[in-house]
Amino acid sequence: MPDHFLRVRSTIILPLMWSAIAALGGNPAPEKSVIQIYNFSQAVAWDAPWRFHGVGRSSGTGFLIKGKRIMTNAHVVSWARQITVRRYQDPRPYNAKVQFIGHDCDLAVLEVEDEAFYEGLEPLEVGELPKVRSTVVTYGYPAGGEQISYTRGVVSRVELQNYVHIGNMSFLGVQTDAAINPGNSGGPVIQEGLVVGVAFQGVPGLENTGFFIPPPVINHFLKDIGDGSYQGFPRAGVKVVPLQNPAYRKSLGLPVNGGGARIDLVMPNSSAKEILQEDDVILSVAGYEVGSDASIVYDGNRLNLTAAIQHAQHGETVEMKIWRGGAEKTVQVPMRCTDEERMLSNQYDVLPRYFVYGGLVFTPLSIDYLRTLGRNWADSAGSEMFYELYYRRNEKPEVNRPEPIVLAGVLAHPVNANLKNQAHSLVGKINGKTITRLEDVVEALSQPGPKEHLIEFLQSDGVECISKQEADQANAKILKTYGISKDRRL
Amino acid sequence: MTRTVRRLLVLLLLATISTGQSAAPGATARASREETPSAMRASLVELEVARTLYDYQTPWTRSSGNVRKSALVIGSDEILATADGLSNATVLRAQRDGRGKWYDATVLWVDYHANVALVQVADPAFWKGLKPVELMAKVSPGEEFRIERWKSGNMESRKAEFSQVVVKQSKLSTYDFAQIELTTEMTGGGWGEPLLVGNKLAGLLSSHTRNTCTVTPAPFIRFLLESRRKSRFTGIGFFDFTWQPAENPSIHRRLEFPGDPKGVLVIEGAKLNGQTNVIQKHDLILQVDGFDIDTQGNYLDPMYGRLLLENLSSRQHFAGDEVPIKVWRGAKLQEVKYKLPKVDFGTKLIPEHIFDLEPEYFILGGLVFQPLTGPFLRRWQDYWNESTPPFRLNYYKNDSPTAERKGLVVLSSVLPDPYNLGYQDQHIPLVVQKVNSRTISTLQELVEAFEHPQQGYHVIQFMKSDAIRKLVVDASSSQAATSRVLKRYGIESDRFTAEKKTAAR
Repeated sequence: MPDHFLRVRSTIILPLMWSAIAALGGNPAPEKSVIQIYNFSQAVAWDAPWRFHGVGRSSGTGFLIKGKRIMTNAHVVSWARQITVRRYQDPRPYNAKVQFIGHDCDLAVLEVEDEAFYEGLEPLEVGELPKVRSTVVTYGYPAGGEQISYTRGVVSRVELQNYVHIGNMSFLGVQTDAAINPGNSGGPVIQEGLVVGVAFQGVPGLENTGFFIPPPVINHFLKDIGDGSYQGFPRAGVKVVPLQNPAYRKSLGLPVNGGGARIDLVMPNSSAKEILQEDDVILSVAGYEVGSDASIVYDGNRLNLTAAIQHAQHGETVEMKIWRGGAEKTVQVPMRCTDEERMLSNQYDVLPRYFVYGGLVFTPLSIDYLRTLGRNWADSAGSEMFYELYYRRNEKPEVNRPEPIVLAGVLAHPVNANLKNQAHSLVGKINGKTITRLEDVVEALSQPGPKEHLIEFLQSDGVECISKQEADQANAKILKTYGISKDRRL
Repeated sequence: MTRTVRRLLVLLLLATISTGQSAAPGATARASREETPSAMRASLVELEVARTLYDYQTPWTRSSGNVRKSALVIGSDEILATADGLSNATVLRAQRDGRGKWYDATVLWVDYHANVALVQVADPAFWKGLKPVELMAKVSPGEEFRIERWKSGNMESRKAEFSQVVVKQSKLSTYDFAQIELTTEMTGGGWGEPLLVGNKLAGLLSSHTRNTCTVTPAPFIRFLLESRRKSRFTGIGFFDFTWQPAENPSIHRRLEFPGDPKGVLVIEGAKLNGQTNVIQKHDLILQVDGFDIDTQGNYLDPMYGRLLLENLSSRQHFAGDEVPIKVWRGAKLQEVKYKLPKVDFGTKLIPEHIFDLEPEYFILGGLVFQPLTGPFLRRWQDYWNESTPPFRLNYYKNDSPTAERKGLVVLSSVLPDPYNLGYQDQHIPLVVQKVNSRTISTLQELVEAFEHPQQGYHVIQFMKSDAIRKLVVDASSSQAATSRVLKRYGIESDRFTAEKKTAAR
C-alpha cells in the first residue's frame, strides 16, 4: 500500500549530490527555492471528537512558486498547529501558514508573512507532463540527514494512481525510480529547470518506486484557488465500464472492433443524471477519443478516461460524444464537486461534529471514526455499519441517510450505567424519529415526551432507554467530569 | 453408591487414563480392555461412510472421501449415530467388535438439524450378541462421565469432566439448543462417540476442539426418537423472533411495566407462519411455555439450571406445536400461542447448509451460474484464502426470502471463451437480478429465462453493488459456445438444476 513520506528529524548528515544539479538546464539553482517544512500537528480523536491527540512533529519539503507562495503536499501540513519553514542553507526558521489546501489532490500552498523570507529567492516554474523514460531529479529533505538531497531517476510510467492522503480518489500520477523517501514529500521533481511534479508517495516494500503529482494536477489546483477558494476535483457521477464483448457492441449498433465505453451506472445524485443514461456509450471526452476499455490517449499515455474529466473545474462542463439509440450525440456534462462521499475519505483539518447527552456520544459515521475501532475495524464495525458506509447510498438511495449517526461511546455515569454496551452502533431512531443527521439527534432528545428516551439502533443492535429527567440533570456534571467544554459541535 | 466406592472407581479410572498417557494408543486400549472390560463392547459399533464430495468452485466435479464414526446399538435393529458425515453417502457399512467383517448398512432415518440418525443392518449375523444401550432420561452435571470408542481394533475409554450446559447452535443447523460441554484427554473426537454414565448413554459427541467436546444430550435424543416412533416428530422447531436482554430498568419504565424488571425485549418480531401479530417488536417476553424469563433471557430448566429461552423451542416441542407465551404489550399482560416454525435452511435467503443434494449449476457460453448458498460462500472463501466471504454477498445472509425472491443466483465464474470476451475480468461472483427482463430467484428460473432472448440477445442484469450491472451476450451462438466450452474444459453437462435433480433421485 502506498504511504506518505513524512519524516521525523534526524541528526545524520549525508553529502550533497552536486552532480545531479550540474546536469540541469533552465533554472540553474532550483535548490535555492526548495524549502524545508516543519509541522507541529495535532489531530482530533474521532471517537471522542472534543479531544485532540498529542502534538506530533514531522517534516517535509516545499518549493517557492510565483506569487510568494510555497507549494507542498497537503499531508505535510495537515492538522497544523504551527508550521515553520527554512530556506536553503539558512538556519533561520520562519513562521508559515496554510493559504489553500486540497486534501483530495494532496497539494497545499503556504505563505510566509516575513518578507525577508523571500529575499533572493526565485520562484520555480511549472512545466509539462514529463515523457516516459525521460530523466527527472527530485529535490527534498528526506530522512537520513538535514541537508538537501537530490536523486535522479527516469519516468517509469504515467497513469491514474490512488492518492492515499484522501484514500478514495485517483488522479494522474507519475511513477519514477528516483529515490523518494520520507521527508521528500512536497519537494519538486525537476526536469530542465522546470517543476514537472511534486513528490508525494511511495509503496513500502517496493524498491525504486516513488510517485509524484504531475503538472495537470498541479495546474488544476492552482487554477482552482485562483478565485480565492478551493473547490476540488469534480466527478461525473457515472460508472464507465469497458465495452468489448462483440454481442454487446452489436446489440447497441456499434462495430465490434470500434471504440467507446459503456455507462453502467449513473449515480443517484450525479450532476449528469439528466444528461447521461445507463447504456450510453462514451465515444469521446473533452476531445479525447475513448477506447473500448474506457481509456484515452493522454499525451502519449493510455489512461482511464477519468484523466480527461479531471481537467474540468467545479461548475464547468465537459463535452462528451455519446452513442445512444443507434445515433451519435454531443452533450455537455456538468461537473460538480460534492462532499457526499466525505465519510468515505480521510478527513483533515475538519473538526468532527458531535453531541453528548447523558454520557452518550453521538457523532457522524466516517471512515476516520471506524479506524478508531482498531486494525480490524472492518470486522469490528459490523455488517450494518459497513453497508451503511459503502453501499446504501447507491443501492437504496430512497432510504439513504445523508449523515448516518453512530453512538461512538458511553461516558460512564450512574445515569447510563444500566445501558448494555451499545457503543459503536448505528442509530436508527430516537423517540420514534428517524435519525438522518446529527441535528435529528439533538431535536429528538430535546423534545418533551415520555419520561424515558427510547433509542433504537439499526437492525439487530437493539434498543436502549435512558431517563430524560436524570440525563438532563446529569449532563453538566458529565461534561465537567470528562473535561468537555461544550456538549455539542454542530 | 457410597462416596467411598465412588472415590475408588474414580481412582481406578484415573489410573487407567494415566497408563494411557504413557503408552502407545493401542497398548492403552488393550490394557483398558483387559483390566476394565467395558459393557460397551457389545453395543459400540463403527460406521464407515464413503461419500461423494462436491467442489462448489467447480460444481460439476466430484471426488470421494471416507468418514469413520462411532455409533451405538439402541434397539434390536437400530443403531444410533450422529448425522454428521452421512450426507452424500455412496457406501455405508457397519462393523462390530472394533474389527472383522464390515456389514452393509442403510440410513433408516436422519435429521441433520438435530444431528441424529438411525442406521440399520440387514444381516442377522451382525446383531448376534449385540446389546442395546439405554438412553438416560436425565443427565446431571455431577455424574462420572466417560467417552468410549473403538480405536485400532481396541476399546478406548477416556474420562470426561463436565464443564457446562450451554444453549448454542447445532453443529449442522441454525437453531440453538442445550448441549453439554466437557473436557477430555481424548483426541480427534466429535464423530458420534458415546458419552456414558455407567452403562447408559448420556449423549453423543458432536464436536471436539482441543480438549473440549460438545455433546448432544441423551434426553433430547430420547425425546426425538420416542416422538418419531409415535409419529409425533414434525421437525425441529425454533423461535423466529429476536430479543435482547432487558437489564436496563429504563426499558421497563418506558414500557410502563410495573414492579421489578423481568423478561426480555423483542427487537425483531415473528414473521413466519403468518405470526406477525403474535410476537411483536417491543414486546416484553415474560414467560415461555410456563417458564418465567429473567432479564437476561434465561429460564430455570428442571434438568440443567439456567438456560437461554431458545432451548424451550425444542425442549419438549416440535415444529407446529403451539407454545404459550406471556408478553407485556401496550402496558398490558397478554397471553399468546406461538406456533413453532420448522427449522429449514430455506427460511434464509442464503441456505446455510445443503445435504444429500448435488450442487446446482448452469453454464451458458462459459458463464457459470450457481445458487448462492452457504457451501458456495465457504468454498469461495477457501479458494481465495479469504478470512470472510465477499462482504456484499455475505450481507445477503441478513435477508429472508420474500414472495418475489425465494433465493439468489450468482454468476460464479467465467470460463474464458471468445463468446464471453470482455467479461472475463469482472469482479465475480455477481448476484443476478434479471435475465431477459425476468426476475431470477432460482437456477430453474434462470434456465427458463435464457429460453426467451430479447431481439437475439441475452441480457443479464445484476443486483446493485460496486461491480458491473449488466452483461449482454449473443443468443443465437450460445449453444455452440456452450458446447465448445464444455469440450475445452472437460465438463460433462451444461447444467444440474432442480428439475434434473428430482429426476436423478
